[in-house]
Amino acid sequence: MPLEFAGGGVLIEHDAVRSSVGLFDVSHMGTFAVSGSGAKDGLNEIFTNDLNRIAPGQAQYSMLCNDSGGVIDDLFVYLVSDEHVVVVPNAANSSVVIGTVERILESRDVRLIDQSPSTAIIAVQGPKSPEVIADIGLAVELPYLGFVERDTDHGHVLLARTGYTGEHGYELLVDSAEADYWWAELAAAANAVGGRVCGLGARDTLRTEMGYALHGHELSLDINPVEAGVGWAVGWDKIAFPGSSALKSIRESGPERKLVGLQFLDRGIPRAGMVVAASADSSAVLGKTTSGTFSPTLKQGIALALLDSEVKLGQVVSVDVRGRSCRAEIVRPPFVGSNPRA
Amino acid sequence: MTPDHLKYTNEHEWALVTETGTIRFGITDHAQESLGDIVFVTLPDPGSQVEAGENCGEIESTKSVAEIFAPISGVVVARNDVVETSPETINADPYGAGWLAEVNPADPTAIDALLSAADYEAVVSAAS
Repeated sequence: MPLEFAGGGVLIEHDAVRSSVGLFDVSHMGTFAVSGSGAKDGLNEIFTNDLNRIAPGQAQYSMLCNDSGGVIDDLFVYLVSDEHVVVVPNAANSSVVIGTVERILESRDVRLIDQSPSTAIIAVQGPKSPEVIADIGLAVELPYLGFVERDTDHGHVLLARTGYTGEHGYELLVDSAEADYWWAELAAAANAVGGRVCGLGARDTLRTEMGYALHGHELSLDINPVEAGVGWAVGWDKIAFPGSSALKSIRESGPERKLVGLQFLDRGIPRAGMVVAASADSSAVLGKTTSGTFSPTLKQGIALALLDSEVKLGQVVSVDVRGRSCRAEIVRPPFVGSNPRA
Repeated sequence: MTPDHLKYTNEHEWALVTETGTIRFGITDHAQESLGDIVFVTLPDPGSQVEAGENCGEIESTKSVAEIFAPISGVVVARNDVVETSPETINADPYGAGWLAEVNPADPTAIDALLSAADYEAVVSAAS
């Protein structure tokens, strides 16, 4: 996926997703399937979230942690049945996730198949995405996080009401041999309703406006789910999993840092890794930004930052933007209206 | 399209002698195209001294940050507030409404040493 498409640009592509529809080729993400009796139960002993919270035909955001509660990866789990589960990890972490799952499930009667090379993933995101899905012959009523599987003239399709933009949207897992067909069909359908193809740049501005975590930024081996504010994706009462006891004690004693949103009051664009202090003339460092960008919707700088857990919503702090001090207010993301369930 | 009546630098900026003898400058079409959507600009303050080839501001796009280099030494006499409030003006009209600042040159003949349009186009095509 390019940063942006010729004739587009981050701002136009971002706006297409917020106002109409945008397509993203996210085939770089990994895909693997775990099947066999006990597939669901086995994965429930590995990932943080509780698969007993969902029913077949539903997807769930989850994580793989190490024993100290650090996040090896965040991922989506598609529960097809108790005997068949599809998992989509991040590209860079895919082999580590697969290796860990294989090792833990070794003694069980399940098979893991890495489907990354044979699977393409296309995200269709925006208020007009239902029209695009209907146009390509997959019209379906799906609740948020629901999915269906279809066998079509162009291979197997898993269609899910998921995404990374904060808009009503879908993700399609298709056979990579048929990826060109689906991409062309979807692009034509999107163009017909004023949408467009989008790149990695818009994907990042869209997810940052929603405050969605990106592994390596808001979540990492050094940032646990409690600090990052994704404790909702941890099954606190379920069976033990890697990191579960560490995470429970972090939750009980309270995290030292917490992830917040920063909305800029001064002109300036934050980026990841900038130092945040209580004020411009204060040497008391509160933490650092984990992501930052120009919000195309708000037309101002926004950032996610991991700060001392004492900070309060509404507090004004100072961000060091390459030597220039910019004031920013601590807010709770999302920075813009959220409509993924709409 | 590189206007013939302007002079250019290796840092992808253009310079123009105005009717009052000041040097107006901005970034080239190639530069704005490479940066992509420009969303933030910091310009030198009027009255400040700038040195040829040295950093005197920033242009930030959705993709990256670029420094602004003064094409010529002198004192800043004007800056284009339009591009601070509407940075996209630089994308839309880099040689016109998207100018950045004006300098009263320390040496009025220094501009003659800058690149011609043809020389600058050679710089761009050699780099691509």
